[in-house]
Amino acid sequence: MPAWKQAVAVAGSIATGMLISAVILIVSGVPASDLVNEFAMNVFDRQSFQAVLVQAAPLILVGIAASIGFRARFWNLGLEGQMVWGGIAATAVSIYHIGPDALRLPLMALFAMLAGMAWVAIPAFLRMRFAVNEIISTLLLNYVATYFLYDLLYGPWKDASDAYPHSPLYASAERLPDLGHGVNAALPLALVFVLIVWWFAEFSRSGFYLKFIYANPAMGQLVGVPIIPVVWTAVLMSGALAALGGFVVPSGIAGRLTEGFFAGYGFSGVLIAFLARNNAATAAVVAVLIAMLFVTGQSFQIFYQIPFAMVQMIQAIIVMCVAASEFFIRHRIRLQR
Amino acid sequence: MAPALELSGITKFFGDFLALDAAHLSVDYGEVHALLGENGAGKSSLMNVAAGLYSPDSGSIKVAGAPCRFSGPRESMQRGIGMIHQNFKLVKRFTIAENVLLANPRGSFRAGKAAIEREIREKAAALGFNLEPARRIDRLSIAEQQRVEIIKALVAGAGILILDEPTAVLTEGEAQRLLAMVRDIAQAGAAVILVTHKLRDVKAFAHRVTIMRGGKTVTTLDPARATADDLTTLMVGSNVVTPSRSTKSVGENRLTVTALASATVEGLTPLVDATFSVRSGEIYGIAGVGGNGQTELADALVGGRQPSAGTIAIKEPGSPTLAEITTATPRQRRDHGIASVPADRQSFGLATSLSIVDNFAVGFIHDGRFGTAARIDRGSMRRATEAAVREFEVQGVRSLWQRAGLLSGGNAQKLILAREFSRVPSIIVAHSPTRGLDVRACAAVHGRLVAARDAGAAVVLISEDLDEVLGISDRIGVMTRGRIVAEFDAPADRHAVGRAMVDHV
Amino acid sequence: MHDIVISWLANLPSLAVPYALASLGLIIGERSGVLSLGAEGLMLVGALAGVAAYLSFGGYPLLALVAAMIAGAVVSVLFAVLVVLLRVNQVIAGLALVFFCQGLTNLIGTVANWSNRTISGLHDLPLYPLSELPVVGRLLFTHDLIVYLTIPIFIAVSYFLNRTNAGLRLRSIGENPEAADAAGLNIYLYRFAAVIGGSALVGLAGGYLSVGSAKIWIAGMTSGRGWIAVALVIFARWHPWRALAGALLFGGIEALIPQVAAAGVRVPQYFMLMTPYLATLAVMVWQGIRGRIGSDEPTALGQPYVREERT
Repeated sequence: MPAWKQAVAVAGSIATGMLISAVILIVSGVPASDLVNEFAMNVFDRQSFQAVLVQAAPLILVGIAASIGFRARFWNLGLEGQMVWGGIAATAVSIYHIGPDALRLPLMALFAMLAGMAWVAIPAFLRMRFAVNEIISTLLLNYVATYFLYDLLYGPWKDASDAYPHSPLYASAERLPDLGHGVNAALPLALVFVLIVWWFAEFSRSGFYLKFIYANPAMGQLVGVPIIPVVWTAVLMSGALAALGGFVVPSGIAGRLTEGFFAGYGFSGVLIAFLARNNAATAAVVAVLIAMLFVTGQSFQIFYQIPFAMVQMIQAIIVMCVAASEFFIRHRIRLQR
Repeated sequence: MAPALELSGITKFFGDFLALDAAHLSVDYGEVHALLGENGAGKSSLMNVAAGLYSPDSGSIKVAGAPCRFSGPRESMQRGIGMIHQNFKLVKRFTIAENVLLANPRGSFRAGKAAIEREIREKAAALGFNLEPARRIDRLSIAEQQRVEIIKALVAGAGILILDEPTAVLTEGEAQRLLAMVRDIAQAGAAVILVTHKLRDVKAFAHRVTIMRGGKTVTTLDPARATADDLTTLMVGSNVVTPSRSTKSVGENRLTVTALASATVEGLTPLVDATFSVRSGEIYGIAGVGGNGQTELADALVGGRQPSAGTIAIKEPGSPTLAEITTATPRQRRDHGIASVPADRQSFGLATSLSIVDNFAVGFIHDGRFGTAARIDRGSMRRATEAAVREFEVQGVRSLWQRAGLLSGGNAQKLILAREFSRVPSIIVAHSPTRGLDVRACAAVHGRLVAARDAGAAVVLISEDLDEVLGISDRIGVMTRGRIVAEFDAPADRHAVGRAMVDHV
Repeated sequence: MHDIVISWLANLPSLAVPYALASLGLIIGERSGVLSLGAEGLMLVGALAGVAAYLSFGGYPLLALVAAMIAGAVVSVLFAVLVVLLRVNQVIAGLALVFFCQGLTNLIGTVANWSNRTISGLHDLPLYPLSELPVVGRLLFTHDLIVYLTIPIFIAVSYFLNRTNAGLRLRSIGENPEAADAAGLNIYLYRFAAVIGGSALVGLAGGYLSVGSAKIWIAGMTSGRGWIAVALVIFARWHPWRALAGALLFGGIEALIPQVAAAGVRVPQYFMLMTPYLATLAVMVWQGIRGRIGSDEPTALGQPYVREERT
């Protein structure tokens, strides 16, 4: 089926998914007119749109993190755990005053990426050496990472000035600066990495090999594709990017390390990669749409007491609709005959 | 009396591909009716229609004169049609009794099992062999599994038995026994359809033969009144030239395999002790019935699996010493000049969802041929693929960027050969290279192998098709139970080779 | 010390039950060839449905548990339609199901005001006079109904799988759907039945967690038990009794956590909470070391079946 028809089918199934979600929300007590208002506001209202852009940066990062992992057939569901460690590593730089002020931000970013790579290396190693399924191992490690975070936030890193489980505020040299028009530096940072990942996948030799690793690893092996080094590269990139997202949220948005800063990003990353068919450039665009969903979700939480988890539910419905539509795309050919 | 099975005007499309074109077939009770045709002629498809697995786009089916419509295998079975497929429909982890019970429930589980076991023993004895119903399928030989399939059909009360290429997986002796048994079953009143491409079996055992070609039924005749050449011409449509063996000189030893052994894979005979060597400029054909370690040998040679014992050593042209490559990766073997043509094209030869260009270029990109590590050069990839597609006569290429999976079997194989042989390899390992290909594509592949041989390559040809091995090999090794048990120089005596295949059982 | 051991062993069975029932439910589905990663979500659905039924229909714990089973089965129909009928990739569908259920239960629990409300739930059922025996009485004969029913449920499912015609057919579909199809079986029907039936057990596991153990509904309360159950199924090599053994192991680990604190051992709280997940990883590594020789994985697990596939 030609590409444009496929795009229409995907858009149609996303619309179906949103419709189903809207029905569920209305049944849960949100007035129908308000639904439309809230969503439209995010696109047309200046303030809301800025919020969307702010939210887009970490989403772009987890989206491309998921996509590069999936391209290597590594189902990295540990994005949240990697974000946690990214946040922890960046916060460590802040708390222990590592490096001069001018280098703080780059050091935080670097430490975050290293932490993410280390954390993802565990399930990667377990898979390579012991054939442990990474879907389960990365998910389990998310819980472990979360408990590490709680231990720090309720313990040694707890801000003594109030009763909340969060770290002390970052110094101003440790905050990603706003660049005017409400755009935070996190966004161009994310876009730089989009470019890097896109180039890697499309134009580098490793990216060429990745195509085979995804399409037919057995054949790739026989034809001489260096599977192990390429997969490790992709997986480490995946962990580093997710962890970078974990740096961007505290440094760019909250200003400190908080309890649930990573909530919702894990599945969002998977959804973005799935809808973007693992393409980094498309993922950036999809991430902006998901950011709109996030911001909408946040305002629903404030105004209608609908828990933020509804965002997750809507995302899951969209995934199911898009996945189901593929059946009809494949089989239209037979029905036409 | 009405014919047992009558198929008329059966047409079947798979997407764009016309598999059956108004095909027809009529089989009487009490006869062995052969359905003859080369690979891709539509024989299996037509029988799958009769078995209820495919539904025809048009045409009619009549069993014992009564018109039927099957929406699934169950209905076909209820009408008394029992099909024994090429790949057996048996659950490997279950016992014989459980497999037969699956389609033929006999009341409660315990009582049913006992009843079925009795029926299995009776029917087997009536046909002259023993079957112990409590044995697991994965512990049986291929010939025994086939007998289970036949018993399964008879227990279900089949009056029409369809056997799809039954002798492909048997030794000559086992094949004779099977076909004799099949004749007895027909004599007892059943209708037996024998789907095959083996002329010898048709002439020896069939009462009538229907020939198919390109999805159409060509004709039906009495095989006793036709010569083998007549039948071949009807099957193939015209004469096809097979490459002749040249008397080129043979060079030094390129490949030396010593006592190679490999661990079991799911009940197939493991590789026990393979020892042979192949020289430059010769084709060494390894003959043997499938399941005797050929797959393990091929895998060990190309680096798909590590052998558990033994060594593989090669001598590259221009190099003074032997290199031991027993544990080398496929990448390293390719660097040493080894090319691989795998048996399962779709799974190991091509990445079917990727483009033709990608599938060709992947063979060379490591050597830095198409750009650098930082940036690949798609333009040069395309040009090189275009040249290769032309040289190796790959047909059906609407666009070089189309999915490789759209190529037909023969053209897919040509693309694989283009990729592997363009590097002018010094050693070629070809495993069942013409499986599933029609005669023309076979000839093209054989031509390429011979040309590579003439250019100095050492070719290892592993094939279950004895005719293929005898046809183009310069030397022949016979593989049985994981060992090379005999070697012959060409031209080899077919009977001697066949005997070697069974003598060591 | 003695008391701690007894306390630990006495609490073990009811903590093992969710793992046991959930993995048994998964085994039924996976034996028919359908890989189900949705246990975490279905358990949440069962947990919420249990509390919801308890609060809405007069506080009958058994009714609540039946509601949990029904809820699990109903939601699994969505999953079955996606993977059996529409042949969606089973990994993606399973993940989507988990996140869908997490979001949905969170939403409904909050909106309908069922969250954070303690209930008296399922009570223990001491088997008088056996429960009066020293030590043994407390360990074996003072539990709730579901704990007592767990072993009979396992026996029934095991019998069904191995000693009935229907069980034979179900297993054949998981091993070789082509053979089953050629034998005239309706693949779709059996897979639907296996997934829905198995999911009822998974729902029960969740319902037990909320109505029997914790006696409350809190969003996300399963905390990864569903994922551990998925790992357990692999560890059990798809055999019910081994899954029960694994469930006892994990119930034991979970029961140990409060006892360690009670014994006065000073381990940081959050590190203790990590132990079930690390234990699961350890179990999976151990599986990997032992290799897959003689693997009992249903041969056709995870692959959608379609009859007219032409290469």
